[in-house]
Formats: sequence, structure tokens, C-alpha cells
Amino acid sequence: MMGPKINSRRVLVVARRVVRQLKRDRRTIGLITLAPVFLMILFGYALSGEMAGINLGVVDLGGQDALRDHLATVDDFDLLRLGSESDAERLIVEGRLHGAVVIRGEEVRVLLDGSSPQITASIMTEVKNGLLPLKGLQNGGRMDVGGELEDVEGGWLGGDGIVGGSSGPGGLGSDGDIGICAALGGYGGPGAAPEVVQRYIRGYDLEMMDSVGPAVLGLVVFFFTFITAAISFLRERTQGSLEKFMVSPLSRPEMVAGYLLGFSLFALLQSATTLLVVVLAFGVPMEGSPLTAFGVILLLGAGGLVLGAFLSNFAKTEFQVVQFIPIVILPQVVLSGVWWPLESIPAFLQPISYALPLTYSSDALRAVMLKGAGISEILVPDLLFLVGFFVLAFGAATLMLKREVG
Amino acid sequence: MQEDGLVKGEEFPAADPSQDYSIVARGLLKSFGKLKALNDLSVRMPRGTTYCLLGPNGSGKTTFIRAVAGLLRLDGGDLSVLGEPVHSVNRVYPRIGYMTQHKALYPDLTLRENMEFYAGLYGIEGWERDERISELLEMVDLADHIDRITGALSGGMYQRLSLACTLIHDPDLLLLDEPTVGVDPILREAFWRFFDGLAERGATILITTHLMDEAERCKIVGYMRAGRMLAEGSPEDLKRLAGLRPILRLWVKDPQASASSLAADGLEVEVVGGVLQVRIEEHGRLKEILEGVEPSDLRLVEPSLADAFLRLSEGGSR
Ligand SMILES: Nc1ncnc2c1ncn2[C@@H]1O[C@H](COP(=O)(O)OP(=O)(O)OP(=O)(O)O)[C@@H](O)[C@H]1O
Ligand SMILES: [Mg+2]
Repeated sequence: MMGPKINSRRVLVVARRVVRQLKRDRRTIGLITLAPVFLMILFGYALSGEMAGINLGVVDLGGQDALRDHLATVDDFDLLRLGSESDAERLIVEGRLHGAVVIRGEEVRVLLDGSSPQITASIMTEVKNGLLPLKGLQNGGRMDVGGELEDVEGGWLGGDGIVGGSSGPGGLGSDGDIGICAALGGYGGPGAAPEVVQRYIRGYDLEMMDSVGPAVLGLVVFFFTFITAAISFLRERTQGSLEKFMVSPLSRPEMVAGYLLGFSLFALLQSATTLLVVVLAFGVPMEGSPLTAFGVILLLGAGGLVLGAFLSNFAKTEFQVVQFIPIVILPQVVLSGVWWPLESIPAFLQPISYALPLTYSSDALRAVMLKGAGISEILVPDLLFLVGFFVLAFGAATLMLKREVG
Repeated sequence: MQEDGLVKGEEFPAADPSQDYSIVARGLLKSFGKLKALNDLSVRMPRGTTYCLLGPNGSGKTTFIRAVAGLLRLDGGDLSVLGEPVHSVNRVYPRIGYMTQHKALYPDLTLRENMEFYAGLYGIEGWERDERISELLEMVDLADHIDRITGALSGGMYQRLSLACTLIHDPDLLLLDEPTVGVDPILREAFWRFFDGLAERGATILITTHLMDEAERCKIVGYMRAGRMLAEGSPEDLKRLAGLRPILRLWVKDPQASASSLAADGLEVEVVGGVLQVRIEEHGRLKEILEGVEPSDLRLVEPSLADAFLRLSEGGSR
């Protein structure tokens, strides 16, 4: 009974039917293409935009009392007094501070980690507000804070280099990658007003989005193929077509392979839209070959599909399929290093992490997209694990279909 | 229940060597937990016949069909289908057409797409496929709906399409589990003519139904109860075996009084809804009866298959 020959014609017949069904299902198509976009935007902005509890270091080497006092009054800031700029730098690198303000006489240096546009904007705004009374005296006017903020964000989104690495050329109405410091300098002139220098400790880079983007790509594809496959296979069973297949020349591997083929088209569509959003809108780099990235995503999606086919055997209704989400999807969301490094996961949970396909796809996608890795570099262990997972789940799925014979 | 000709597992008659059997089942056993769904069931189905399985809900008809289709792991007994023992039945799969009690259709595809899918599974392609599809849709009277979405069909239409899909590969053995549920009488008639035609061309059709008029059209009728074959034979045989005779319904002035006088003469009588019913033993006594009660009206009722089964299963444990 094991290992019947796979007839490619019948595989195509099944694939064609699956495609026809999905094609007609507008809502699912919409979900497949738009949900990842929505999710990425949600993750991209909401998760990195933590407004309360900004850890701000203050290195006070004298001068600018007004600024120092103002910063202390801002509720959102948890201030940490530090002895030197290098201390501040170190803490930012370690991720313990979001930024630091170094006050040294006439010079104000703002150190930022740049992981979130909101935090950057909020620190810069308050620094400006702290200096305003001075400016007010000098210029007799207020400046347009909003416009300046946009500049910062534009610089971040555009991703075209370090923003305002030092005091830019003076001038009003500056735009593009000239930072706030430059604008302030322009307003104040070289007189009594302090010079504000903005420094990004990690460059403009969105550390969060860069590492999360590739991993979320895998998560999204895995989730959708898993759920759609589980429900489709459940329907085959409840509507009686599975029984008909078993009295037809169609073998179980042919059926699962047909589904794989039909679904791969939609997985491709989905990974393409997600990839576009991640790369174009969020500026996550694509150092390696997009084809390799597609390959990894498809392999992962195939694993999700056969896992769904396998688990559908344990569900009696679609409602019960949905109950698999907390069991199958959530652990992968939490434990597979999508959001935070595996090392930060408690040691006793790490063995689970290393058994999850998403752990390996995240690693592989990061390697390809951020470091430009080729297939040979992600072969061990990532691709090997993903292939192994797929083969195992494929076998389990076809074996379970046999259980239908009761 | 020991009348001659009644088939029970232990008295399974020897096979007729001249006969070509599509299904031979002997002593089939299948339990679901404590429930014995097939309890020593023996059946033999000659090639080219229409065989009707009757029996109350839960009597094991679907279970038997699933066993024949190779979808059941039997607890015991021998089963061979189209000459192959059932454990290797996958070799004959392409020659079986199985219509499940579920409809096995994809509601989001059109009728044509559903049929193309099943045709594809059997490797039927090109013009042969298109011809077959239009021929079958014609038969089930759905040709006008070919490009409609299947989910939008009415219940009976759904059933008809399911039948058409089952017939797509022109199977030698048709397993039809209640194929006419919800189908209107005119189409049912068409179906049965089609089945008869298939049987004439050598196909074997195993069909389950709860409709006696359909059973009457079959060559062989098997009556199942609690996983056993209670009675089997042609509809006429079964009526004869059940010892059924025509019933004379008489409208008389005083049914009770007439009933007791006829009963005194040794006749089997009953009063149903104010009408006197007499079972006719021999036609010679007809005149005597009529003269005795002077009915205002009368009707002679031939026994039905339903009566036969009621009779046959009297005393049989349900
Ligand atoms: N997979 C199963 N698991 C448990 N019990 C089952 C299973 N399949 C059938 N049965 C039981 O076996 C008995 C026979 O069922 P079956 O479906 O063969 O009846 P049937 O004669 O086809 O009835 P109907 O006329 O309602 O279609 C029923 O009591 C049913 O509950
Ligand atoms: Mg049934």
C-alpha cells in the first residue's frame, strides 16, 4: 500500500480544481494579499511606537539648566543621569536606553537609537521645547515643530543614510536628510543659542523592522496556508469527496501534491505582496536573491499546508480547526525568534523553539535578506530542517488520510 | 423466519457456477464498539442485476456499501468485489462508481467544473470528456445549468449532479447510497430507466432506498435488519414467501358484527378505520363472503412489498 506512483496528470487535476476554487473565493484572495500588508503596517508602526516610558539618559556637563529642568518634567521620560557620553552610548547599544541628551555648555548632543520614529520624534520635540524660551527671546517667534518632525520621519523611511550626523549647514526650511539640529542652528544663529547635534548610535536603521520583517513574512505565509489547508481538507472529508477519492485512482500522495501545487500559486502571490511591503515600504534590505527568499517561503508554506492537512484529521468541524491556532500558531509566534532573539527565550523553552519550523525560516530569511546569504549558507540547518519537517508532515498527512478506512 | 428460500447467513446457498458474481460476501462482521453494524451478513450479487438493499435506518446498508468500496476494515468474513478479494480491491477501484450519502460536490465550482474534476481523476479528457459530461447532464436534466455555481442548486438538483459525477467513468459496479433522495417522481422514473439500461449492458447496480416502489423495480431485493440479511429474493418471491394474499376491503353497515361472523367461518379478518378487511385464502370463497355481508362497496388490494417486509420481520428482533 505504501508509496504508490504519483501520476502527474491527476496531481494537475487536483491542483487545477484547488486553483479554481480559490480563484472564485474573492474574500480569501483579498485576505491572502491584503492581510499581510495590514499586518506588516501594524507591526511596523504599532509595536515600535512605544510612547510611554522612554528611557532617556542625561549627561549634564554644565549649562542649559532650562533644558535639563524641562526634560525632568516630561512624564514619558524615565531619566537616568550618566557621567559621560560614552556611558550613554554603551547603554543605548545594549538596548537599555532609547536615547540620551548630552549637555555641555553651548552644545547639546542628542544620541538616539533610531529604532522607532515615534521615540526619536518625542525626544527631539522635548529637547526643542526645553530650549524654546531661549529662542523665544532671540527670535520673538515660534518655530514649526510639526514640519521638523516630518523631516525626521522622512529620513527614516527613506532609509538613505544617517540622518543629521552632525550639525548640517545652517538654513531655514531645510528638508530631506538635514536634521533638526541644522534647523535649530539656523534659527538661533551662532550666538547665545546652544548648538544641537543629533547622533544616531545605530545609524538610521530600524533594528526592529529589519529583523522582524523577514521573519513575519514566514509567519504570515505559514499561518494562511496552514489554516486554509486544514479547512479545505476537513471539507473534503465532511462533504464525502475524500471517500470518493479512495474509490478512485487518485492516491493520497497525489491528492496532497495537487493541493501543494494549487496552493503554491497563492503562497507565491502572498509572499510577493508581503515581500514588497517589507522591502519597499519599510526599507528592509534585500541583500540576497529574492528567488532564494521565495524558495524558503514556499518551502515553509508547503510545510504549513501538509501540517494543516495532517491536523485536519483531528477536527470534526471548522470551529475545531480554528482551535488549532493557539496550539500551532501561537507557540511559533512567541518562541521562534520572530520578535526577539532566541537567546532571550528562557532556557527551558528553547528546545521547543528548535523544533519549530518558523525558527528556521526566520533565520534563513534574515540571512538571505539582511546578510545576502545564498542557498549553501542556509542549507544547514535551516533548509534541512524545513525539508525534513515537510517530508515528515507529508508522510503523516497521507498516512492519516488512510485512517479514513475505519 | 425459516421459510424456504429465505437467505440467512448460516444457510447461505451454494453459488450457481454458471453465474458471474460482482459481489460475493460471506459472514461479514463489523462492530463499532458494542454495536454490531454488520452481523454475519452474506450476500451474492450476480453481474448485470439491479440489487436493492432495504432496511430501517441504521440497519447497516451504508456500512455494507462502504465495505464493498473498500472503505471499511472488516472484523471478519470474506468479501470479493469484481472477482478480487477486497483487501486488494484498489485494483478494481476505477471500475467502481460510488455515490455516497454525502453529496461529494464542491459547492463553489460550477457543474461543469465539478464534472471535469471527477473526469480528470479517471483520466477522461478532451472531447470524450465533454461529450460524456453533456450526455450525463442531459440524463439528469441539468444541461441548462452547466455553468451555474453548484452551491446555488436545489437539493434535488444537487443529488442529480452527484449521480452524474458518479457515472462519469461508466463504472462496471455502481454503489448508489440513496441516489434518489429529494429527486422528483418524473426524474426518478428517468433514473430507473437509465439504471435498467446500464444493467442490461452488464453493469451491476447496488442501490439503497427507503422507497418501496423503487425496490419493486429491482431484480433482487435484500431486506436488512440489525446488520443481517433478513430476506432476499425478487419482489414477487418475497411476497409469496411472506405468504401474502390479496386483501378484500368491504364497506358494510355493521363492520364489527360482520367481522365476528366471518371470523367464525375461519377467515382472517380485521376492522381498519370502519372498513372490514378480509384476507383471501382461496378465490372460491369470494362468493360466500360477499353473500354473507352484502357490502355497499368493495375493493381488492394486492399485497405490497412493504406488507411483505412487515410480515417477514414480524417477530424478528429489531
Ligand atoms: N463510523 C462509525 N462509527 C460508529 N458507528 C457507526 C459508524 N458508521 C456506522 N455506524 C453505526 O452503524 C449502524 C449502521 O449504520 P449505517 O450507516 O450502515 O445504516 P444505514 O442502514 O445506512 O442507515 P440509513 O438508512 O439511515 O442510511 C448505525 O447504528 C450507525 O450508527
Ligand atoms: Mg445509509
